[in-house]
Amino acid sequence: MNMIDLAIIGGGAAGLAAALSAHDEKINIVLIERDPQLGGILNQCIHNGFGLHQFKEELTGPEYAHRFIEALKEKGISVMLESTVLDIQKKEHFELILSSPIQGYQHLQARAVILATGCYERTRGSVLIPGTRPKGIMPAGSAQRYLNMEGYLVGQRVFILGSGDIGLIMARRMTLEGAKVLGVAEIMPYSNGLTRNIVQCLHDFDIPLYLSHTVTNIKGKDTLEAITIQAVDHRFEPIAGTEKTFEVDTLLLSIGLIPDVALFDGLNMKKSPVTKSAYVDQHYMTNIEGLFVCGNALHVHDLVDWVSDEGQKAGYHAKKYVLSSQNQEKDDQVITLGDHVRYVVPHHIDMNHLTEPLTLSFRVTKKMTSAMLQVHQDGAIIFQRKSAYLAPAEMESITLKPDQLKSKNPIRLHVEELI
Amino acid sequence: MYDYIIIGSGIVGSLIARELSKYDVSIMVFDKENDFASHQTTANSAIIHSGHDPKEGTLKARLCVEGNRLYDQLEKELEIPLLRTGAFVVAHGPKEEKMLEELYDRAHNNGVPDVHFLDLEDIFKQEPRLIKTITKVLSLPSTKVTYPWEVAFASLENAVKNGASIRRNSHVVAITKDRDHFLVELKDGTSWQTKRIINASGVMSDIVASLLDKDVQFQIIPRRGEYMVLDRRVKDTFHHVIYPLPTFRGKGVLIVPQVHGNILLGPTSEVIEDREDASTTKEGILYIKEQLHYLSDQIPFEWTIRGFAGVRATSTYDDFYIQESKYYPGFYHVAGIDSPGLTSAPAIARYLVEEVIKINQPKKINYDPIRQKKLFFNQLSEDEKSIRVKDCPSHGRIVCKCEKITEQDIIESIHGPLGNDTVKGIKKRARAGSGLCQGGYCESMVLQIIAKETNKPLSTINYDGEHTPILVKETKTHEHD
Repeated sequence: MNMIDLAIIGGGAAGLAAALSAHDEKINIVLIERDPQLGGILNQCIHNGFGLHQFKEELTGPEYAHRFIEALKEKGISVMLESTVLDIQKKEHFELILSSPIQGYQHLQARAVILATGCYERTRGSVLIPGTRPKGIMPAGSAQRYLNMEGYLVGQRVFILGSGDIGLIMARRMTLEGAKVLGVAEIMPYSNGLTRNIVQCLHDFDIPLYLSHTVTNIKGKDTLEAITIQAVDHRFEPIAGTEKTFEVDTLLLSIGLIPDVALFDGLNMKKSPVTKSAYVDQHYMTNIEGLFVCGNALHVHDLVDWVSDEGQKAGYHAKKYVLSSQNQEKDDQVITLGDHVRYVVPHHIDMNHLTEPLTLSFRVTKKMTSAMLQVHQDGAIIFQRKSAYLAPAEMESITLKPDQLKSKNPIRLHVEELI
Repeated sequence: MYDYIIIGSGIVGSLIARELSKYDVSIMVFDKENDFASHQTTANSAIIHSGHDPKEGTLKARLCVEGNRLYDQLEKELEIPLLRTGAFVVAHGPKEEKMLEELYDRAHNNGVPDVHFLDLEDIFKQEPRLIKTITKVLSLPSTKVTYPWEVAFASLENAVKNGASIRRNSHVVAITKDRDHFLVELKDGTSWQTKRIINASGVMSDIVASLLDKDVQFQIIPRRGEYMVLDRRVKDTFHHVIYPLPTFRGKGVLIVPQVHGNILLGPTSEVIEDREDASTTKEGILYIKEQLHYLSDQIPFEWTIRGFAGVRATSTYDDFYIQESKYYPGFYHVAGIDSPGLTSAPAIARYLVEEVIKINQPKKINYDPIRQKKLFFNQLSEDEKSIRVKDCPSHGRIVCKCEKITEQDIIESIHGPLGNDTVKGIKKRARAGSGLCQGGYCESMVLQIIAKETNKPLSTINYDGEHTPILVKETKTHEHD
């Protein structure tokens, strides 16, 4: 069986960045991608707005991916395309089962693994939208793929449920292609997309956004004919008498993304009920020694730049892990969550190995126009920063230097709303 | 001129076709949809009931117990999946315990094998997620679970192997009687002669009957059942079919482990007006969740991947209606087949042919009862997988990542016996799109494979019925090319 030092699964934004930063002549790496080309979901994101942080310029998705792919080629990192990892088991090393029309069905051994498998879109079934089940209802990302990769519109009169970024981007994209987008309904009282997308994709095209509304009925036997939306109360229950019906042939769903961690199935992985993915330490390592997770497979990001950033960090730490031979004693301390914090990545800190700056990525539970972000330790505030705008849709981050921590005791992340 | 035309290719029509194909007769099966077995057969609880519930002395009681037994034979002959779960019927408190004892008597009288009461401690050991307020449990070991669509599909495939013909998109709009035969007219303008007609058209059976019969003895009262599906990752959270005590509305809301590892929750039971209205409702889901409190407080709802509904062909006749028309000899109605219709179907087919039609000829000597199932890639052993990919590289390409379905699995489902060229047809045959992401990742690839294999433009590939293309208009860039 082939033995490699580090297998990176997924050749999208996270995997590409991880492979580049893990590259080192002393270790052998392989990047495994199921599609015939690298880039992942970036390939279907032909709009711009990518790279402002990584490259200080605005690129389209394919351009952004291209930069990483070129760098990867330059370094000669080996890539397996059209290869799907079907299963991972942890024995003495990791054992991967791969299937590929080119390289066949094979087992591969690896000392370390980075999972960078991205996320999938929540479907109608997971939220159980009532009504019939005709054709014409699909996740916004699927419609994006059909439009930008295959060159076809999936419908001409469109309604969008959920104000996630893909839905907003698709509202604009389908409008530009001649479809009529009748509206976007969002069950929350605030949008779930980036502010810039609300402005550039909805406002600029006079597409109404119905906040605190959801789809409550679907009509049509074979083909979608109409949908009904209703306002919801504070418990998200539809309010009678607020029904509005739209005659549409398409309902796109942009109701959330979920880390694609099907490969955890063969592993004894501890999972967070909030992120639906693994608990990791500051090195992006899971409770399984040598297994790292990063990018949207770990938690869903708003910007690809942050995905790449996380991939780079995970790649760096995975390389360090492979190169360090001895088993090191850990001292894991879980980061406790204060008010208004939904989750934080990392979930815990290995205090015995805190040598690099520590990035805390987190989301808040509600919209706040003025707040103080704080990190507490040993009863004292060791970090604080004021924020003029916080929303669940926008990921926040704080970076701490190791010497800002006073001890090896747990830290607490807290958001104080200022009124 | 056919000897038999069967209207409807659901599980009942399919098994009748197979039963008749044992004899030297010509058979045609019509289905009005773009695929076979598209309605009730695809949307039910998938349970092969033991026969504990139907009233003693009814056709339902007799055919359910017989049908349950016949599934063991079908498993061998047709290689259909059968999960031998057994079932528990649970009671809370003295009043329900008494009803459970009556149910025991009924099961016993109906001839259900091995029915017995179980020790509670043992129950909670076997099903730790059951709610602890349960006080008495009846065990029905002969209860099984199957994949109903595959049973219909396998039966049709086997009937075809033995000489039957089948035709999709064949909507019967008129039936007339000519001296010694019937004339069946379809919506597409074609007409077909036959000596006998078997009406197995499910929720449409009273409409089909009244195309010719003046005095139809039954009327369909469509009854909708809604369900929720949990992902296969919940496998092993429940091992048995779990029933509450039956009520006048039916068997109640159940927990049903499925053959692919999923768990089905439901059904509701609601009389509706539009017999093809398989919509789900908010009230239905709430009802299911509420009713499940009687069974368990540990149901992993977070793994819900789908809701669906089926319309059951309940009739005004208080039993299965399996009779020859009084006015038109040779016109047979197999109607009102609601629960336990799936279980009874093999026995219904045999009962119709042997006791109602009373077919008077010897069985064919060359009748072949065997249907060999095509194994999918993920059902092969590790060694076979590796050999298969070497021989056929398209087995190496995983299309549906969630259910691990390969490009070759899909190609074979397109071209196989009773092949299909729609996205939903492929989902039924190969399970591509049945997993967590519900086709979000693989649907576009399935579409491309269908287009390539059938030599049709991408934009003509249908989701399900005719005229349901997924792609409706080329982009502006395309137009300029």
